[in-house]
Amino acid sequence: MSQKFERVQPGEKVFDWLLLLFSIGVLLEAYRIDGIPSVNSPGSFPVGLALVMLASSVVILVSHRRKRRDPRIRNALHEAQVFLHEHFQPHIVVFTFLAVAYLAAIVWASFYVSTYLFLAVTFIYFRHGRVVSSLIISAVAIAVIYALFTLVFRVYLP
Amino acid sequence: MFKPLLTSLAVAVGSLAMAGNALAEYPERNIQATIQWGAGGATDNVARSLTPHVEEILDTTVVLTNRPGGTGVIGMNHVMRQRADGYNLLYGAENPQLYQLMGLADFSYDDMHTVNIIGQGLVVIAAPADSPFDSLADLLEHAKANPGELRMGGTGAGGLPSTVLAMVNAVDELDVRNVTFGGDGPGITAMLGGHIDFMPLSLAAVGEQIRSGKMKGLAVLTKEEIEALPGVPPITQALPDIESFLPWGPFWGVFVHQDTPDDIKATLEEAYEQAVANQEFGDFMQNFGAEVLNLNGEAAEQYLDNWQSVTAWAMYEADAETLEATPEELGIPRP
Amino acid sequence: MSDTFSFLLMAWLDPQLLLLTALGTLAGIYVGAIPGLSVTMAASILISFTFSWDINNALALMVGIYVGGVYGGSRTAILLNIPGAPSAVVTAFDGYPLAQRGEAGQAIGLSTVMSVIGGLLGTLVLAGSAPFLADMALEFAPRDYFLIAVLGLLLVSTLSGKSLARGIFSVALGASIGLVGMDMVTAQPRLTMGSMELLGGIHYVVVMIGLFGVAEAFYQLHNLTKVPIKQKVDKIIPPLSMVLKYLPLSIRTSIIGVIVGALPGTGGDIASLFAYDHAKRTVKNPSSPFGEGAYEGLVAPETANNAAVGGAYVPMLTLGMPGDAVTAVILGALVIHGLNPGPMLMIETPHIFWFTVGNLALANIFLLIFGLTGIKVFSKVVEVPKALLIPLILVLCVVGTYSINSNMTEVYWMLGFGILGYWLKVFGFQMGPVILGVILGPLLDETYRQAMSSVGDSGGQFLLALVTNPLSLVLTTVIALVLLGQTPAKTWLTSQFQRN
Repeated sequence: MSQKFERVQPGEKVFDWLLLLFSIGVLLEAYRIDGIPSVNSPGSFPVGLALVMLASSVVILVSHRRKRRDPRIRNALHEAQVFLHEHFQPHIVVFTFLAVAYLAAIVWASFYVSTYLFLAVTFIYFRHGRVVSSLIISAVAIAVIYALFTLVFRVYLP
Repeated sequence: MFKPLLTSLAVAVGSLAMAGNALAEYPERNIQATIQWGAGGATDNVARSLTPHVEEILDTTVVLTNRPGGTGVIGMNHVMRQRADGYNLLYGAENPQLYQLMGLADFSYDDMHTVNIIGQGLVVIAAPADSPFDSLADLLEHAKANPGELRMGGTGAGGLPSTVLAMVNAVDELDVRNVTFGGDGPGITAMLGGHIDFMPLSLAAVGEQIRSGKMKGLAVLTKEEIEALPGVPPITQALPDIESFLPWGPFWGVFVHQDTPDDIKATLEEAYEQAVANQEFGDFMQNFGAEVLNLNGEAAEQYLDNWQSVTAWAMYEADAETLEATPEELGIPRP
Repeated sequence: MSDTFSFLLMAWLDPQLLLLTALGTLAGIYVGAIPGLSVTMAASILISFTFSWDINNALALMVGIYVGGVYGGSRTAILLNIPGAPSAVVTAFDGYPLAQRGEAGQAIGLSTVMSVIGGLLGTLVLAGSAPFLADMALEFAPRDYFLIAVLGLLLVSTLSGKSLARGIFSVALGASIGLVGMDMVTAQPRLTMGSMELLGGIHYVVVMIGLFGVAEAFYQLHNLTKVPIKQKVDKIIPPLSMVLKYLPLSIRTSIIGVIVGALPGTGGDIASLFAYDHAKRTVKNPSSPFGEGAYEGLVAPETANNAAVGGAYVPMLTLGMPGDAVTAVILGALVIHGLNPGPMLMIETPHIFWFTVGNLALANIFLLIFGLTGIKVFSKVVEVPKALLIPLILVLCVVGTYSINSNMTEVYWMLGFGILGYWLKVFGFQMGPVILGVILGPLLDETYRQAMSSVGDSGGQFLLALVTNPLSLVLTTVIALVLLGQTPAKTWLTSQFQRN
């Protein structure tokens, strides 16, 4: 195994660098608790954990020396393209956008209305039309959620 | 299944229509009540045994939700941000009276309207049954000879044990190792195993342990011996000066948004006064090791102010450095 | 004695109690299966609901909910890779791959039978040695809980998959998430970035729903059009030979479960992690490699978390101290019904003890019945087209997260963790270590600081206590042995040396 180079995913190196930056961020935030922590202080564990994250993300980055890109990927630009193609397919982007909009809508448009709209729109989009059945399935889902959560478990939904 | 659906639909439509003249017959729909501590805790137990009586009086459903976290900051903050229509209540404990002092939040019960101060718990300083100390005086003596040796169970800054410790330190000296637990339960368990030497606890939490002989009470935080714990001396026996802080104990209350219309406030106050006075609830509180207060209006305000002033100044005198603000800066008068 | 016997059988003979236990168990399965709806929540709703009831009726309903709920978590873990409760996280590791192979029916069938075996063994231990076990649990000092948490951390090598560095990063990340919020000792905000909403911390179920549920939903978007796997539903009841084959393992993991459950600081979630680790270390030839659909990886956590129920009742019934959050609520119910739960409970009201034991056994029988019926319908969930399933999963995750603390901010966090989880998954990070960190981080921090405060903040005293106290010495030795004998760590080290 040590002879062969491991495959690296498109974007992996960037992600691992981001993890390193994130670890530094956590370290700074942990440092703000009470500076250099003593043997028993609120900051001891957070600072310790941030250092562990930092160290392991450095190890992960070092391990890239033993990894290679897929030979079919020619250069960084091409890698970026492959990355975008793989993870930013239209339906994934649309779904993410709808999910975020849905969560934002809950607060001002109430839970049931926004859930119904979210389900109906995503069903119609994913199933390329079939409007009527999508609307019916959404309505059934809402009814089940209402019965289970609001009536039985008395969860107060916004 | 459809009937409740239709009813609630009707209610929803109705409430929309009435949004203009909000003061129809209150309550016309379910009331949401937030408990600022977790399920199974003292505040939760009090809220859940009182609420059915309130539901009966108001003829509506009170939906209870636990919103714990941040010594109750999260739950209180939530209720304060809801509409001031009387449909959002807060079941809270004593902690918000210390938020500003400890820098946890910039509000206290002064920023809400008190519906009812339901009751107050009694406090016992407890030790394991095989502890070498038989009274608080023994313990104080030992602690003075060996400062920083005894292990006291605590529940963190602003918790009941640390407040009691502050009171003791305001009139005497007690230097201990403070071992912090997530609540009364874990602390009691640690004490049963002999991993800590003593812990100030609410009678509700520890009464049964003392009665069964697994633990002993070193002192009760009262001026006189209490009926529930015969033979346990009042704290004034060991520390006569502490009397100025008494009576003191953790309390539970019901609160509502400050800007709630007056007639709704009055309806709620009346309903809670009646519910707290209920015999069945009284029995529960007695069994629970707590005292019913049933205060509202002026009396409740006075109680809250007095509690805050006593506690804040005791904490300030004991250890001013740990506080984020002085009682003086916050305009809390000396007791 | 005959009194004991009549209390034991009370729930079995009274039609009303029988019905309530059955109802509770059935409801519990669904409460458990839906992420966010927890047994704790259901039990506290029941308090107001059963306020005016007879105490036995209320207890019967709660026992049913508890037993059913702990089991129910495995349903969604197996079918959708979304654990319904923290104690079912481990079940997803091997349960979901099984569903992907079309064996969801068998997996649920086996996990049902094994849950019942674990539950009954746990009840048996409760009945036979509750006072002994309670005394043992009290011996655990803060430093011993700390050592248990450290032992738990060593599981990271079991859960990390290929890259240990990634596993360690994930554990530390999870633990940092677990520490967000107010410091327990000083009430200082930690890692909250100045947000008041974060003072209360991030509930670990929020992290769990995000990392498993939402991340999985996003991940599945890649094969939106793929035809779902056809589930084999002909052999759902495991043959006796299979049950017998796994019986020795299930007995061992039940013992782990009941002991970890009886410790007031730990519960079914940690029990199932230890059990999985135990299975991975002791079973040499699993039915498939662990993590790829090993039946052993399903048996171990499922027996352990159900055995932990019996364990959690031990401190509650003998000392009046809760063994976990659910027993804390049940204690509250006893108080509200006018009983005084405490060390005298078993002496003054022995019927509560024997009634609970009998009721737990009964609930497990109902669990077997309800668990094995309806599997065929449940398995079909996997066959629902992805275009419908994925949006529904997201909605369920939202409702589930909101149900925990009725906090919209947590729902945003949940989505954030979902997106984070997606990227972690893409780049070869495992979810197990993150959850391990979230669960163990606060326990480590809390117990370490308790242990330190107990010895007056002296590091030397702390280390001394680890080797001078018999119990701590045993735990320290176990940790040392595991650390030395940890094959993945050893091979990793040797491979590092050979490379250079």
